[in-house]
Amino acid sequence: MLEVRGLWKAYDSRPGAFSVRDVSFAVAKGEFFTLLGPSGCGKTTTLRSIAGLETPDRGEIAIGGRTVFSSRSGVVLPVARRDIAMVFQSYAVWPHMTVAQNVAFPLDALGIRGPEAAARLDRALETVGLSAFRDRPAPMLSGGQQQRVALARAVAKQASVLLLDEPLSNLDARLREQMRVELRDLQQRLGTTAIYVTHDQEEAMALSDRVAVMDNGVIVECDTPENLYLRPRTAFAARFVGQADLLPATLAARDGARWWLDTPLGRIESRCTPDSPAAPLHLLIRPEHIEFAEADAGNVVAGRITRRVFSGRIVEYFVAVGGTVLRVQGTSRTLLPASGAVRLFLPPERCVVVAG
Amino acid sequence: MRRHAFARWLPTLLLGSLLLYLVALPLLFLGVSSLRPTGMPLEPGVTFAHYAEVYGNPGFWRLVRDSAVFAAGSAAVALTLGTLLAWAVERTDMPGSGLVRALVILPMATPPLLLAIGWAMLLSPRAGAVNLVLMEWFGLQAAPFNAYSLGAMVFVQGLSLTSTAFLFLSPAFRNMDPSLEEAAMASGAGTGMLFRRVLLPLLLPALLAAGVFLLIVGFVVFEIPGTLGLPARIFVLSSQIYFLAADPPGGFPLYGQISALASVFIALLFLLGLLYRRMTAAASRYRTVTGKGFRPRRMRLGRWRWAALGGVGVYFLLAVVLPVGMLLWTSLMPFQARPSWANLSLVTLENHMDFLASPRVFEAVANTALVAVLAATLVAVIATLTAWTTIRLRAPASGVLDTLAFLPIAIPGVMMGVALIYVYLTLDPVIAIYGTVWILVVAYTTEYLSFGNRAAGGVMVQLHPELEEAGRTSGAATLLVLRRITVPLLWPAIAAIWIWVLAHVMRELAISLMLQGRDNQVVTTLLWDYWQGGEATRAAAVGVWLVVSLLVVLVAWQVLAARRGRADA
Repeated sequence: MLEVRGLWKAYDSRPGAFSVRDVSFAVAKGEFFTLLGPSGCGKTTTLRSIAGLETPDRGEIAIGGRTVFSSRSGVVLPVARRDIAMVFQSYAVWPHMTVAQNVAFPLDALGIRGPEAAARLDRALETVGLSAFRDRPAPMLSGGQQQRVALARAVAKQASVLLLDEPLSNLDARLREQMRVELRDLQQRLGTTAIYVTHDQEEAMALSDRVAVMDNGVIVECDTPENLYLRPRTAFAARFVGQADLLPATLAARDGARWWLDTPLGRIESRCTPDSPAAPLHLLIRPEHIEFAEADAGNVVAGRITRRVFSGRIVEYFVAVGGTVLRVQGTSRTLLPASGAVRLFLPPERCVVVAG
Repeated sequence: MRRHAFARWLPTLLLGSLLLYLVALPLLFLGVSSLRPTGMPLEPGVTFAHYAEVYGNPGFWRLVRDSAVFAAGSAAVALTLGTLLAWAVERTDMPGSGLVRALVILPMATPPLLLAIGWAMLLSPRAGAVNLVLMEWFGLQAAPFNAYSLGAMVFVQGLSLTSTAFLFLSPAFRNMDPSLEEAAMASGAGTGMLFRRVLLPLLLPALLAAGVFLLIVGFVVFEIPGTLGLPARIFVLSSQIYFLAADPPGGFPLYGQISALASVFIALLFLLGLLYRRMTAAASRYRTVTGKGFRPRRMRLGRWRWAALGGVGVYFLLAVVLPVGMLLWTSLMPFQARPSWANLSLVTLENHMDFLASPRVFEAVANTALVAVLAATLVAVIATLTAWTTIRLRAPASGVLDTLAFLPIAIPGVMMGVALIYVYLTLDPVIAIYGTVWILVVAYTTEYLSFGNRAAGGVMVQLHPELEEAGRTSGAATLLVLRRITVPLLWPAIAAIWIWVLAHVMRELAISLMLQGRDNQVVTTLLWDYWQGGEATRAAAVGVWLVVSLLVVLVAWQVLAARRGRADA
């Protein structure tokens, strides 16, 4: 449905420095695809290039098989003629219009009138649950309602690709979680292809079929949320999608996909390994995957709890093993004392070898 | 790709040529004219004689001194009064501050020309009402005040600019977050330290920007120096140029000298303008509005509250009540007679009947209305398009467009007039608008472009770009977005620009005076002619009606501004 190939875009202010560098990806029909990364990583520039709000320097973009941008053949389709709809971070709900006027605007712009326009307007308002507010002036809406207007406006256009630029970041935490569920639900009901931009890894995981992690203008890794979290291939992605203890490691021995690595904790076995060893290597272990052990065995290390942070649902322990401090998360079901000797078991299938 | 580049350049090319024609062409003609022996731009020869004549003249330094004293003096008076007024209204518990804020449109509705005439009627050494009263009461031999002096010019100009200074400064006072002061007090600062280390530095950018702006205005204005300075042969820059053009020693306008004088001053004023632009940028960086609602801390004045209100009352008395009252009185007299119970029996409506019935007046009013409406509309359209092109489209060469639109701030009205004389005498075979109302439309459009562009730009910057982008991603082409989204959202600002320009064209004299022909008499030139011709009572009647119509326009502006304020909240 959407294909982006070899996209490059220089900063307006700093020619020669690129905000997007050779970005390529393809999104299937009905897929929810997220660009995730820290601010300034190029995710919004990529999204705006798809919309046509920015013109890249090089590359190609095709929507539904139709080339909308190609630096090689000089195609630059204007925004208005691209088969996309977009939801903005600021909602961009027009304050001089009512809810219905806002939502009906794309229909006006496309020249759709009469009963069809009315039906599409009604359906869009109903989809987001704003039918009762149709004649309300836009400035008299709450943040969440404005968000829904923006969504309804995008839905009413019935475009092949829905672009969302951090649409939930201005909502408060509770509303954000509620809208997250609604958004995913809506996308699946309509079967729309969605490209979503966010810096919030939890949001990205909860919503997406696939997530592309971006850094410094480049897609670092692109995979399903499970794979990104449990089997990342790079240290950057591993760190960005969740808490991570990362230890420098060198390959000591291997038997197929079972590797033994020398780390500051000693020799550790990993069963989650890349095809070939590339230097430098790190061993990733997530704090909630580490278990407290009773006896010495393989992948068990001895350490000492130095600090305990109790935050209700989870309890975080800082465990010094030799000169290294590991973070270990447990639930509040069992509480260990804030100091004392412990043994830690690092499950080999959750010890991940990552590059970088 | 080439078509793409052309499309990108198109707005710049269209607007650029319009601005070059409106702004750069007159300045070019002015510069060329200063080097021509005859002073006419297209006649042959190159000479520096005009520069030698102007700048070698021993009178030149007196002109510079008087201009500087006048500009700096009136700026200082206005800044002082404006600061006090803004502080009292915004930051103290003075009673009636809301009323004062509303009444500030009264001095704005009093054109500088009428203020000058009003004060001339009050303080003229021979017939001034105040002088006569004081001489009678105290048995003085000579008049204690002289309206036709540099001091009176500074005083009246200062009064006339005080409302401008107030409008500049009151937001700075109002928008200062009180937590900044509270933080200083919590750090142990006393009143003196609070003022020196926190309040003054926070207000300084706004004060400096206002000061430089007032200084520019002080160098540019003609009405007050023309009315109060010319009779006593006290010249400032603008009145000197008017004098050289309208009433030259040799009987023929000394265009070469005018251009030589104007060129250098416009360059200097432009530098001052650039300084002002940098300062307003600095002032907005200091802006402490957080979007959070807060009430400014109000200082408790105690018994001094009423003294403060009295001081404000004195300002309104001097800036509005006395001069306009004197005009009204004079307009009701058959000849210039001072206000007294005895003279009350002389009251007649003759001057007003004359005003309402005279075909000459009707023509002048019609011309003023036509020029004001057209110029206001053109400024609103061009300024909005320029702001949109430079800020939103970020079209190539935006800096050039912006500077061209900003340049007229440095061009005094009299010089704008002279420059357009050159342009349209030269272009007369092609564009025959010399001596018509159309040349006034062109002149005022150019003159107020600077204001319009800054006002439109200020609002454009605040308009979130995503509002327009959402229109484009909805499938609307550029023009539809402009029509359905950009213009409606900017509409209150555009209307405010329109009304501001309308009011200023209605009250401006210098440009119309310089470009006066047989068919383009406007209300202010009519007023000036009556006044200069000794028909003070008729001039007063015209003035009263001018104040009334300005008041109507400005009340409309206030209502609009209030509505916009509500929409923002």
